[in-house]
Amino acid sequence: MRAALKKLRQSRYYGVGLLLLIAIAIWAVFKLLTPSNFGDPEKLVSYLQTALIYAVGGCGLYFICVMGLFDFSIGAMMILAELAAIAFIPWLGYVSVVVVPVLVGLLLGIFNGVAYIKMRIPSIIVTTGLSLLYEAASVWMANVNGTRLPASHNAFGSYPWNLVVALAAFCLCGFLLKYTKVGTYTNAIGANELVAKNMGVDVDRYKAIAFALCGLFVGIMSILYLGYGTAQTPQTGMLSQSLNFKPLMGTFFGLAFRKYGHPVVSIVIGEYIVSMIFAGFVAMGVPTTINNIVTGVTLLAIVTLTTKRFNGAVVK
Amino acid sequence: MAKQLMLRAVGIDKRFGPTHAVDHISLDFAKGEIHALIGENGSGKSTFTNMLTGIIPIGEGTFELDGAQIVPKNQVDANHLGAAVIVQEQGTLDSLTVAENMFLGDEDQFMSRGIKNTPAMYRKAQELLDSYGLGRIKASDPIEHYNFEDRKLVEIVKSTWFKPKVLVVDETTTALSQNGRDILFDVMRTVRDDGRTVIFICHDMSEVLMMSDTISILRDGEFIATVSASEVDESKLKTLMVGRQMSERYYREDYGCPLTGDVALSMRKVSVPGQLEEVSLDLHKGEILGIGGLSECGMHEVGKALFGASYDRVGEVVLGDGTPIDSIDTAINHSIAYASKDRDNESLLINDTIQDNITLPSLRRMGLPLRAGELRDFAATYANVMSTKMVGVDQFVSALSGGNKQKVVLSRWLGAGSDILVLDSPTRGIDIKVKADIYALLDMMRREGKAILVISEEIMELIGMCDRIIVMKDRKIAGELERRPDMTEQDLIALMV
Repeated sequence: MRAALKKLRQSRYYGVGLLLLIAIAIWAVFKLLTPSNFGDPEKLVSYLQTALIYAVGGCGLYFICVMGLFDFSIGAMMILAELAAIAFIPWLGYVSVVVVPVLVGLLLGIFNGVAYIKMRIPSIIVTTGLSLLYEAASVWMANVNGTRLPASHNAFGSYPWNLVVALAAFCLCGFLLKYTKVGTYTNAIGANELVAKNMGVDVDRYKAIAFALCGLFVGIMSILYLGYGTAQTPQTGMLSQSLNFKPLMGTFFGLAFRKYGHPVVSIVIGEYIVSMIFAGFVAMGVPTTINNIVTGVTLLAIVTLTTKRFNGAVVK
Repeated sequence: MAKQLMLRAVGIDKRFGPTHAVDHISLDFAKGEIHALIGENGSGKSTFTNMLTGIIPIGEGTFELDGAQIVPKNQVDANHLGAAVIVQEQGTLDSLTVAENMFLGDEDQFMSRGIKNTPAMYRKAQELLDSYGLGRIKASDPIEHYNFEDRKLVEIVKSTWFKPKVLVVDETTTALSQNGRDILFDVMRTVRDDGRTVIFICHDMSEVLMMSDTISILRDGEFIATVSASEVDESKLKTLMVGRQMSERYYREDYGCPLTGDVALSMRKVSVPGQLEEVSLDLHKGEILGIGGLSECGMHEVGKALFGASYDRVGEVVLGDGTPIDSIDTAINHSIAYASKDRDNESLLINDTIQDNITLPSLRRMGLPLRAGELRDFAATYANVMSTKMVGVDQFVSALSGGNKQKVVLSRWLGAGSDILVLDSPTRGIDIKVKADIYALLDMMRREGKAILVISEEIMELIGMCDRIIVMKDRKIAGELERRPDMTEQDLIALMV
């Protein structure tokens, strides 16, 4: 019996199955609490809409967090990428909505990576500092062509194009993790940087690549976020930090369930769970503050309960 | 006919700050031989081979491998140049699959236009595992699914499948069961019979003599001698290693010492899920109690349970007066010391000074404010009692050899004045001279009335040093043997298997 249970836990599908069960359980709880306002098929599809956006960002952060690093500039990067897309619409039209955010995200990601490698100080400090720069740049960018996306350019905010873009991003992330050196090397660096270096892994190079990929996915997230919200106001005074949180939640799920071999699927389901919880509280009329508390606690509970921990294990 | 030369080391030299780890060593290694490299801890064996295999840069000198000079930049580069190593500690990485670990840094063979053919990599890894008789290990499984020994076996495949010209086996056997050792020894013989070379680093003289054709001895970073394995015995090798005649009084020679009636520490029906099942024992004052068994028998958990470091423990650990020991803090407050088998990760602050490591458990009774001079003198006193080879107590522990690290651990508990010592694998990876020092210290402490529990995978150590030996099997106590002069290894093995 014990052996069978161990085998089940080591199964590749155990983690995904568990996450799906949790998602169903959360749906059932809110459905019971507020049957008329929550959980209809139509609403479930709309929860997915927001989940897809943050899951794309979560995929990008995964490359960073799996190495034990952080990027606290993704909120500022997203704002700047969106405002840059709006700024270039008069010249590039629809191309601006797709290409500009990706390019801006990629360039800022490369900049983050180079700054981290050259400065040799913790990634949290580097990216927090740079987020202030990006926030300032977003104010300047907002003056170019305003902060609103024309209604004629918001196809990526709804089905089917949001789904197409998100699926493409998920496939790209899964491909990079499984079929390129990036996935193996970022995992190896996270497990033991010194051993990875001894095995010939160019640690600095792959850290820089990870930051660049994070930027790329944040750029893709910006396409979806801008289409969904149709406007973006610049933020200053580190207010953009609040936008880091939701993609990070998906990344936590990806990290907690990566041992089952499907981090991307875990990120997507994780974001869907978070999205459902938010929507459930809104449906119940719970104030935002309470909503945030319960969501945070739920996230911690899920990751704590699903992560195999050992008493006395060192956790940093 | 003289054998052809495979590897020539000329004037190899390495310094770590003030430590001269390898002092201009020149050595030849022939094709088709197993060439042992022996010496005390800190003699420079691993530093020498780490330079050969790209783990650390070469300080001075040159390596010529099969006629060509090599300067490996890292381990994978060394592999490509024809030199591979199986290291002493764990060399595989969590979060990667078995196959990813096997080909880490060497994925290019599966890459086409930047895309990795993962199924092909898994297939090749599985074929290799199967060919080594390790088909039960699945190439696509996360490496965390396997225990330390299996992971070591994966490393053996990883380091040998590409037929390196020189294979370094660095103190690997201590991590392996007999079956694992047999696999490793078969691999070593295959390398030799193929006309390639094995450099074998090992502290077990009987294994060195059994496996090697040629033996080179290093001492304090210097080359001492090269001898043919057929022309020497253990005694001669020990003399060459230490630089003087080793006393034959290696272990205790007293027998028939009655146990005192004073129990220092007891375990009563202690269980730890998956590790121990209802283990009960008494440790007496003035006694060395040994715990032996096969590596997965649960014996290492006994030490943790006694020290309050075992989690999910059921049952009681109590002092002779009935005081319960339920946490590490309580254990230290009641004069219990513990040295873990995993010295670097569980016993030492590896990136800290010798002084901090020695004074740590004694700070609580030193009073405030702490005085720098007092701390330094305290650490120096106990480090010197143990004859720790060091530049000063402000030297980082990471720069010490395995034997000297263990001396720091023991100095710590000597300084803390511990009356009950729980020592897990106290001589693991340690040369014979330090071993002899540790055995003498244990015997002295025993005679002073201290209670000592030694957990060991070395049967001769248990037979030679312990008043009683408890043998464990499948997480339970399988039997107990009293000290006697005619006890043999077979007596213990019969209870273990």
